[in-house]
Amino acid sequence: MAFLELKGVEKFYGPVHAIKGIDLAIEKGEFIVFVGPSGCGKSTLLRMIAGLETIDGGSLWLDGREITKLNSSKRDLAMVFQSYALYPHMSVADNMSFALRLANVDKKIIQDKVGRAAEILNLSKYLDRTPKELSGGQRQRVAIGRAIVRAPKCFLFDEPLSNLDAALRGQTRVEITKLHRELGATTVYVTHDQVEAMTMADRVVVLRDGAIEQVGTPLELYDHPANTFVAQFIGQPQMNVVDTKKLPASFGIGGPADGFIGVRPEHVTVKRSGEGALPAKVEVVESLGLDTIIYANVGDVQLIARQNTRTALKAGDAVALEIAPTAIHQFDRQGRALAA
Amino acid sequence: MNHIALAVRTVAAWLVTLLIVFPLIWLVLTAFKTELQAIAVPPELFFSPTLENFHEVQVRSDYLLYAKNSVVTSVLSTIIGLAIAAPAAYSMAFFRTKKTKDLLMWMLSTKMMPAVGALVPVYVMAQTAGLLDSLTGLTVVFTLSNLPIMVWMLYSGFKDIPPDILEAARMDGANVWSEFVHVIRPLATGTLASTGLLCLVLSWNEAFWSLNLSSANAGTLATLIASYSSPEGLFWAKLSCASLMAIAPIVVLGWFSQKQLVQGLTFGAVK
Repeated sequence: MAFLELKGVEKFYGPVHAIKGIDLAIEKGEFIVFVGPSGCGKSTLLRMIAGLETIDGGSLWLDGREITKLNSSKRDLAMVFQSYALYPHMSVADNMSFALRLANVDKKIIQDKVGRAAEILNLSKYLDRTPKELSGGQRQRVAIGRAIVRAPKCFLFDEPLSNLDAALRGQTRVEITKLHRELGATTVYVTHDQVEAMTMADRVVVLRDGAIEQVGTPLELYDHPANTFVAQFIGQPQMNVVDTKKLPASFGIGGPADGFIGVRPEHVTVKRSGEGALPAKVEVVESLGLDTIIYANVGDVQLIARQNTRTALKAGDAVALEIAPTAIHQFDRQGRALAA
Repeated sequence: MNHIALAVRTVAAWLVTLLIVFPLIWLVLTAFKTELQAIAVPPELFFSPTLENFHEVQVRSDYLLYAKNSVVTSVLSTIIGLAIAAPAAYSMAFFRTKKTKDLLMWMLSTKMMPAVGALVPVYVMAQTAGLLDSLTGLTVVFTLSNLPIMVWMLYSGFKDIPPDILEAARMDGANVWSEFVHVIRPLATGTLASTGLLCLVLSWNEAFWSLNLSSANAGTLATLIASYSSPEGLFWAKLSCASLMAIAPIVVLGWFSQKQLVQGLTFGAVK
């Protein structure tokens, strides 16, 4: 049996079926990321695991014990909130030690554990401060510290980086990943940012409308998306997905007679006009330094190409696109992937 | 122009203040007059003060008994009121349903009904329960009549506490009690204090129920004051003296706690 297991977990808000029977097995020490667009139920699902939302159907198991109806306080899980949710009236040290103090742990042990966590998180200097005297990044670290001091069975993170600026977000992402490697703790992490999902996860769970679309390692999802939703959600810029009925005759690329084909932007090569199979017109060029993103129209169909060389192309230029047939993903009319 | 506006505003403010405080000043002055001086026309502004009335009030009506009754009923009704209102406000602030607002409005609406409308049933109930002219009876009635406003005030204060913090406490292993003691109480000290103070003041000043439900045994200072307006006539100096002695403790308390009170009453209005 898996370490943390969700069996047919469901949630209703009145007539709305918010979580539609989720089955998921998480192994000990795994870093699992729930990702999906807003409103897909990822935070709700995390809160259900935490015990902050009731589970209306199915069951939840942690380390061989059923915890479906157990109070949050008894689940032995720690959570890092999006808003950090630090206790504003307590010092950093008191924030971090609150759980241990509630559990009547020996003062000496508390001091040791808080000291060690503070050292790992670079907070030793700030232990006497209150949260409002700290920067956003420091508060975030206190929230993480509060979780690790307890050494819980499982860590839950609810979009912990979304309140940080871009630079700090990248840095904290790396820190959390490092921390996970050092502690080896089972972690469930919620984000809407697919970059976080791809870079941090052992396995990614893509959710939509309260149901799982696909579970897999980041590269599995990237290389073998189960459907057009996952294909377009994972990867930046998103995969080109084209209705085969709209393909111009000149497209010349095999695909299902009735369905979609998908191709990643890096597999679309922009060539000089006349050199490639698909004559196209450049619409927009985005130069990112390392990469160049080119939006080009083949008839009515817009395709995105990504290349790691710079270009002198500009909007309106005539070009030709080439797509390697082996790089094409095929989907049926419902958007499900077809075996290649 | 600004200076003139400021001056006008200042004068106006002083006038309004004087208008409000004038009866109180008059009361204080009268308390130190003899009965003859008290009814003199034109009123005497300069006179040699006497403490005779204070002595008279204590001898004639045992001020200390009434004062004790006031302290007991107001303090007990405040404590019991907080003990009931805090959990009610907690559940309404943190476990809101669609009906929470309606429930709060309904509770508050009971304060809009004139107390006299409930006099007969309350009197009969108190009589049946043997609680007429008893401190228990008064305490119960004071508590119940203050509950709506207490729940409302605590609710307004509690709902400013981010629910995330309570959820974090729950994840940290806190049960409802430790959540309240370690998180809500320190974060809502101002609200709790001002609610308690207001309830204390309201109970202390409560006259309607004390006059109707108590007399010699459980009478509060409000009944003491009323006893000086009797069929034998009005004794202005003694009446003023009794009133001064009745309001003095709560005015002093109010003076020292005005910051808390104002903060509590404007909670949520100013961030």
